[in-house]
Amino acid sequence: MPDTTTAERAGFSADSGSRRSERLRLFTEPVVVLAILGAVLVWAFTGDLDDIEAREINAANILTLTWQHVQITLAVTAIVLLVAIPLGILVTRPWAKGVAPIVLGIANMGQAAPALGLLVLFFLLTQQTGFWVAVIPIAFYALLPVLRNTMVGLQQVDQSLLEAGRGIGMSRFTVLRRIEFPLAVPLMLAGLRTSLVLAVGSATLAFFIGGGGLGELIDVGYKLRRTSVLVVGAVLSAALALLVDWLGGLAEQLLGPKGLR
Amino acid sequence: MSETNTAPKPGGESDRATSGVEIRLENVTKQYGGQRHPAVDSVTMTIPAGETVVFVGPSGCGKTTTMKMINRLIEPTSGRITVGGQDVLRLNPDELRRGIGYAIQQVGLLPHLTVSQNVGLVPGLIGWDKSRIAERTEEMLDLVGLDPAEYRDRFPKQLSGGQQQRVGVARALAADPPVLLMDEPFGAVDPITRGNLQDELMRLQEEMGKTIVFVTHDFDEAVKLGDRIAVLGYQSKILQYDTPEAILANPADETVAGFVGAGAALKQLTLRRVRDIELEQLPTATAGEEPAAFAARLGGRRGAVGLVLDERGRPLRWVTRRDLDRSGSLATAGRPVEDSVDRASTLQDALEALLTADAGYAVVTRSRGQYAGVVGLDSLMGTIRALREQYEDEDGTPDGRPGDGPGGSDGGSGAAHA
Amino acid sequence: MNWLSDFGSFVAGRWEQLLFDSYLHVSAVVQCVVIATVVGMLLGVAVYRSPFGSAVATAVTSAILTIPSFALFGLLIPVLGLGVPPTVTVLVLYALLPIVRNTIVGLASVDSSVTDAARGIGMSRFGVLTRVELRLAWPAVLTGIRVSTQMLMGILAIAAYAKGPGLGNQIITGLSRVGSANATNAAVAGTVAIVILALVLDAVYVLIGRLTTSRGIRV
Ligand SMILES: Nc1ncnc2c1ncn2[C@@H]1O[C@H](COP(=O)(O)OP(=O)(O)OP(=O)(O)O)[C@@H](O)[C@H]1O
Ligand SMILES: [Mg+2]
Repeated sequence: MPDTTTAERAGFSADSGSRRSERLRLFTEPVVVLAILGAVLVWAFTGDLDDIEAREINAANILTLTWQHVQITLAVTAIVLLVAIPLGILVTRPWAKGVAPIVLGIANMGQAAPALGLLVLFFLLTQQTGFWVAVIPIAFYALLPVLRNTMVGLQQVDQSLLEAGRGIGMSRFTVLRRIEFPLAVPLMLAGLRTSLVLAVGSATLAFFIGGGGLGELIDVGYKLRRTSVLVVGAVLSAALALLVDWLGGLAEQLLGPKGLR
Repeated sequence: MSETNTAPKPGGESDRATSGVEIRLENVTKQYGGQRHPAVDSVTMTIPAGETVVFVGPSGCGKTTTMKMINRLIEPTSGRITVGGQDVLRLNPDELRRGIGYAIQQVGLLPHLTVSQNVGLVPGLIGWDKSRIAERTEEMLDLVGLDPAEYRDRFPKQLSGGQQQRVGVARALAADPPVLLMDEPFGAVDPITRGNLQDELMRLQEEMGKTIVFVTHDFDEAVKLGDRIAVLGYQSKILQYDTPEAILANPADETVAGFVGAGAALKQLTLRRVRDIELEQLPTATAGEEPAAFAARLGGRRGAVGLVLDERGRPLRWVTRRDLDRSGSLATAGRPVEDSVDRASTLQDALEALLTADAGYAVVTRSRGQYAGVVGLDSLMGTIRALREQYEDEDGTPDGRPGDGPGGSDGGSGAAHA
Repeated sequence: MNWLSDFGSFVAGRWEQLLFDSYLHVSAVVQCVVIATVVGMLLGVAVYRSPFGSAVATAVTSAILTIPSFALFGLLIPVLGLGVPPTVTVLVLYALLPIVRNTIVGLASVDSSVTDAARGIGMSRFGVLTRVELRLAWPAVLTGIRVSTQMLMGILAIAAYAKGPGLGNQIITGLSRVGSANATNAAVAGTVAIVILALVLDAVYVLIGRLTTSRGIRV
């Protein structure tokens, strides 16, 4: 396809926006998010709570669910990093030319599939519930951005740099470690940020299969018609996603190689 | 006339230090997969230790391929390559490359490393300790004319193209390799910067005496830098492998002649210095003398030219017999001397000065500007004629028809002929 | 193999329902993408000349995209009720970022010498925008539309939870009938159908790209 590169460049996972809007988000986002979150929590905690509301809206429950949510996100991120980066490195080696499109194709399918479908299918197939049954399909779903950006990041490294590296006597591994990898780091971080957002978002669906997380508050609020519970769940998970994304943006700014910034 | 020695080229005869080693290619062939004809077809050549050999030839003729086989960035399909007597195919390629400097047109500085980290790469690879690398890096930056204090901690994108090239050369030289491979290293900079970089390289090479293989398709660059030039044709066939003088004086065939281009005679003049030829003398007088006395010395010949000097012997004015007849003082007679050359100038500079001064001569001065003699059109033409005859003799070509020679390879370094 | 034939008979038995859900799924996504394209391009055109405006538009739309879709559905239910209204709102909001950003980037990267030349031959400001700039930016915009469409196909599956239309209903059905014979079949049918339809839509976009991009700027 002639315009895959354009798609990757313009698509939302290959880079994370213009520098200016990045900076805008970096400075204003945490303030706005924390203000809204604080207001909503104060509103929820100070309102008249009936029995059901009181059962859901209390510090212990909210902290437990938030922590579950964070744990799912962390586990997903760990799996994504451990699988996608080595896989991306592996399939971009010259001898793996044939495999790269196949791997990319599978990962593409993973992301084209609805996260909800993957979760439910995995649950139905394993007949299990709980943490890992939620984590594994979400990790599969969130794999693509890091995998694709690792591959693109490694492939876009200027051929003449690799040649210069080889020409001054670096081994293939040294070229990978000292040239290709550092130069691919910015794109990998951008991919990681997208994966993180996908992970937080999909983790709201974990409750469907008994995986817990903040989705549970939304579900309870919806089913039992308690708007305050629903809103607290929704705002908390949105705030978590925005903050995670903000941290990802910070990492992009701070961790990329200095000479490239 | 102790200063009038022969040209300093080829390098073997000069007094420069030689730290380089000899490179030999024997029947080296490269056949890329999926192509009908080999990119390099059975090339045999010897690159003498300490010399700069320039590969020139049209685009796609195989210069880069030939060069990259020396450091095994490209593996030869067949044939043998030795560097300093060692068969490169028997060495570990990474270690081989650490001992061969490498500079390319795209420079290839690592954008995420600072200038000093880039320069220190190879010393780091071969295990030098930190302080020695730091010291060497400073020295290298100094050597290529970049102030270490200012440039050490910059990133490549904070440098101009020419500065990047300098850092590239510094990186290639950092581990003091005996051999340097340079693939159009100055191809991407403006002509003035390129000229400066060429001058710097010549200066460095004068001190270092490395074996340099230099690829370009600019023949003037080849003439300027090369102790020898290998003019390559399709599939790296060696059309002529000789000193620049010899190639300019006597191109081996039509193709080489075409590559040498127009103005071969003018280019030859860039290879000879004023000190290489015998100067002529003109009648002189100091500015205080009587015009009539000087006129008597100039003699009656029409168009006779003399020079008026100041008290320190520096040339002031051109005068002819007619000027003297018309003028009351030597200080105002004739025309001022506007341009002069010294003994280190090229004959091309002399020709330039000769053409601008309409006296038909170029004034040659000593170090403090005192008059030393003149160069006339006749002696320039004589030089060119002598050069041409000299190389025709060596070639065994009976008269001035280029193209009759047996391929134009010079002694010892045989070219492969079809 | 046994399972495959079982799945085959499941699909054969619910063929009409599956087709109907597929139709609803695709039609909802396409309609929302059309709305988002109009809104997104207008927004892009409005801000692309101002760096600050571009930054704000990109930052806001990308912040929206960051919010988990299930949370956004949840937030909208109390306001908009169930069914179509929250679904359309959510889908349009999510589709905005890729389209807005690619419109801005596409317009901003049009070579100024081209627009100068167009002004020079007497085109109006509006003429330059519609006949030159948007034409040249179109491939980038189309890429944004493609990305949005792929995303919406997956997000719409969640809408079934809020009584929205589409193939998500198959997945939810599968989940709610856990243990019954057809639970897995329904979930597989819903998931696979979404993947296949997403791929088909992508192919359609390639075709649209071919047909609507001037041959002079095709890569
Ligand atoms: N990796 C490769 N695979 C196949 N063919 C190649 C490869 N590299 C070079 N060639 C071919 O080999 C021939 C010689 O190429 P080479 O790069 O050595 O030319 P060159 O003389 O350096 O040209 P230029 O002056 O343009 O740099 C060309 O015909 C080129 O197309
Ligand atoms: Mg080349």
